[in-house]
Amino acid sequence: MAEKILEVKDLVVEFRTDRGRVTAVNGVNFDVHKGRTIGIVGESGSGKSVSALSIMRLIPNPPGEITGGKILYRGEDLLNKPIEAMRTIRGNKIAMIFQEPMTSLNPVFTVGNQIEEVLKLHQPELSKAQRLEKSIEQLKLVGIPSPDKRIHEYPHQLSGGMRQRVMIAMSLACEPDILIADEPTTALDVTIQAQILELMKKLQTELGMGIIMITHDLGVVAETCDDVAVMYCGQIVERADVKTLFSSPKHPYTKGLMESIPSFDSTLGKKRDRLPTIEGMVPSLFDLPSGCNFQDRCKYVDDKCRGSQGDPQLEEAASGHSVRCFHPLNA
Amino acid sequence: MNIYAYIFRRLLYVIPVILGVCAIIFLIFNVVAPDPALIILGKHATAEQVVEIRQQLGLNKPMLSQYFDIVRSAFTFDFGRSWSTKQEISEMIKAGAVPSATLSFPAFFISTILGISISLLVAFYRGSMFDKVTVVGCVTLMSVSSLAYILFGQWFFAYKLGWFEISGYDYGFPYFIPYILLPAIIWVMLSVGPDVRFYRTIMLDEIYQDYIRTARAKGLSERVILFKHVLKNAMIPIITYVVIQIPFLILGALLLESFFSIPGLGSITLNAINSSDFPVIRAMTVLSAVAYIIFSVITDVLYTLVDPRVRLS
Amino acid sequence: MSSNVQSKSLWRHAFEQLCKDKLALTSLIIVAVYAVVAILVACGVLASDWEKSVGPSYNPPSLEHPFGLDIFGMSVWAKTLKGTEVAMSVGLVTSLISITIGVTLGALAGYFGGKIDEGIVWFYTTFTSIPYIMLVVAIAFILGKGLMTVYLALGLTSWVSLCRLIRGEVMRHKDREYVQAAGAIGGGDMRKLFIHILPNVLHIVIINFSLSFQTAIKSEVILSYLGLGVQGRPSWGIMIDDAKLELARGVWWQLAAATLAMLIVVLAFNILGDALRDALDPKLKGK
Repeated sequence: MAEKILEVKDLVVEFRTDRGRVTAVNGVNFDVHKGRTIGIVGESGSGKSVSALSIMRLIPNPPGEITGGKILYRGEDLLNKPIEAMRTIRGNKIAMIFQEPMTSLNPVFTVGNQIEEVLKLHQPELSKAQRLEKSIEQLKLVGIPSPDKRIHEYPHQLSGGMRQRVMIAMSLACEPDILIADEPTTALDVTIQAQILELMKKLQTELGMGIIMITHDLGVVAETCDDVAVMYCGQIVERADVKTLFSSPKHPYTKGLMESIPSFDSTLGKKRDRLPTIEGMVPSLFDLPSGCNFQDRCKYVDDKCRGSQGDPQLEEAASGHSVRCFHPLNA
Repeated sequence: MNIYAYIFRRLLYVIPVILGVCAIIFLIFNVVAPDPALIILGKHATAEQVVEIRQQLGLNKPMLSQYFDIVRSAFTFDFGRSWSTKQEISEMIKAGAVPSATLSFPAFFISTILGISISLLVAFYRGSMFDKVTVVGCVTLMSVSSLAYILFGQWFFAYKLGWFEISGYDYGFPYFIPYILLPAIIWVMLSVGPDVRFYRTIMLDEIYQDYIRTARAKGLSERVILFKHVLKNAMIPIITYVVIQIPFLILGALLLESFFSIPGLGSITLNAINSSDFPVIRAMTVLSAVAYIIFSVITDVLYTLVDPRVRLS
Repeated sequence: MSSNVQSKSLWRHAFEQLCKDKLALTSLIIVAVYAVVAILVACGVLASDWEKSVGPSYNPPSLEHPFGLDIFGMSVWAKTLKGTEVAMSVGLVTSLISITIGVTLGALAGYFGGKIDEGIVWFYTTFTSIPYIMLVVAIAFILGKGLMTVYLALGLTSWVSLCRLIRGEVMRHKDREYVQAAGAIGGGDMRKLFIHILPNVLHIVIINFSLSFQTAIKSEVILSYLGLGVQGRPSWGIMIDDAKLELARGVWWQLAAATLAMLIVVLAFNILGDALRDALDPKLKGK
């Protein structure tokens, strides 16, 4: 296996709200490897974005706070670093792109200015001319036509897909080890979505960075990821490599997610009239049940799941395949 | 639409607005207001006296021509003579402009700089005790009557403690300074509250935008984020807010000038109001309305210049 | 229907949030106390003997008269109470006038657009070009002095900002589905505008109300200074204006009493306005 560059260990993130403290991320573990992509999948509120922002230490505090765990980047715990040291890592060693390309770029600075800003900060040895040259190179790298002109334009002059390319160019300017992509294609048209994902894959092979792909879309996972962690209510409920996960999901939630995507293939044997959905609603984080968090929506529920024997733990069910369930499914 | 077409259209719109302003002024002073002849002569005037004074004041002209006199004055600044002092009004304005400007421009400049600086600090320490105390302080400052500031300031700091001149004015550079110090301080006290509140809201609006998160993810420090990314975005509404206040400086501070006996446009206006001197009131109204209209055009054009999103769309 | 349900829960949510905010709740209580005082004064229950001389001229604050006496030996406390009636009525009537004009014109401009919109925008652009104080003075010239003048002068000149806000908000709402649905089931323009859209922009009116109320109270002082205020009865403006002759003799209590009375209620309205904005304006939530 490739070199491990980032290790998230037992991460706990809490938020203080009007209604009390709430644990948004509760003991999350995953690793990022060089040149590989790990997908973190879940519905909104599952804690996937909070986990990603925690790696960058960008959780707004207050109300949020990282209250437990370790984030080891090349062996060093990022959570213990002073904020100044953290700033030399952000945008330099670990970069991030966001869901809303329309609003994630500063509207009053040119594209070039915003790319050069990262270079100026992390590579102060570059001259002004070198920075400009490198910025144009970056735009070319992400496939923006006539980059020498585009570099003097403002974000509003670019389409959504182009802006996301600019975001990628900016985040990769310092050739980071890790790129965190928080729903990078959710706000884009389907065709543009495919182009952006293709671009990220291509750049990964060229630059060899590890990618953390945060998404709610299993299609995106299937297309881009090597490993997957499925999150539910702040916990990872299943973790495996992408092939294993898709061919034999062990958690009923994962299986439910997969069945609820429209699909043309007939692996299920018969044509479906209605798309199955997962019954019920995600429980409120303020009021999680004891036992399994998925109990109210699960058709295999029994007393064990309702907490008679404590909470389920994430356990290895097969080699490299862990699941947090008392009754893991057999493929 | 390109910028020149926009400016042209915006300038064109000035015409109906000036005509409208003149119509309102005409309606108030020439149609609805009590007969000025009676105001000047009192209730016991004879019919001949009334005819004579109406002749003198040009009140027997046809209505339409009276209206166009007002419109013309908006462009020529020829307002005729004052009823009470018989002076040429344009001369009075020229004389009053200097004292008004020596008070209002420094005071406005200082209060704007102070307001922006405080709001930057507050935005930097948002949510802290300092932020909360400043906000409450601003609201409290705003809740005291402006007249109370003037009365108390003049009585306590000028009369009791003798730190400042009680009233009066002296022309020419450093001589006017002692006279404008206290009124300028009171001016700053009056405007810093609303200013800080406004600027703070603008800056906090920006601080919670997505692009600020991007800036943090790039590794920028909070200081750079505030002074570069937030400030440049916030400058757009701030410039608009500042520029549109400039025309109001022309009338100066009505109350401040009259309490501190500064012979500026504000004092002239208040005297005119007290003596029902219609031509002077009308002139001041036209003058400040024209200034407002010009500056609102400037504001709109500036807006398109500083905001790249408006510039080319 | 759904819009009604939504707005109801918005109001309930806002009310709950307001009650949680101690400062806002205190402000609400202060405003209520002032309103009760004003009503009691108007009914003659409180401060009905304000005209009576109760001691020597300019008697400083004492145990018996904690706010001192004025030039005629009248109790400053009684005058301050009497002034509350003027202040609260000026705030209320002025706000009602300005809301009526602002909402009507703003809603018509925003809903109908086109020539009507152009006309109304032209009108308020013209109107704002004339300095506020000049308009107030002009109206006072025409109507003569008195309480009615104060109401009208302040009410007729303070509607523009609300009009702008309502115009913008109605424009945003008129193409929403719920309004189109109301049209589809046969609602006329007026019905759509007044039954369906206006309830959804009501929060702006409420926020604006608390602001225009306190602005009116502050403006009454300026009118009194210009000699255009109420006549023959005390108001905070007249009391503050009187102080310009009193301070030189060291008589500070009339200024202090009126300023303090005004400070407290204006501050309460300011805090309440902010809290209402936070609670009702979803755009600013979480700031």
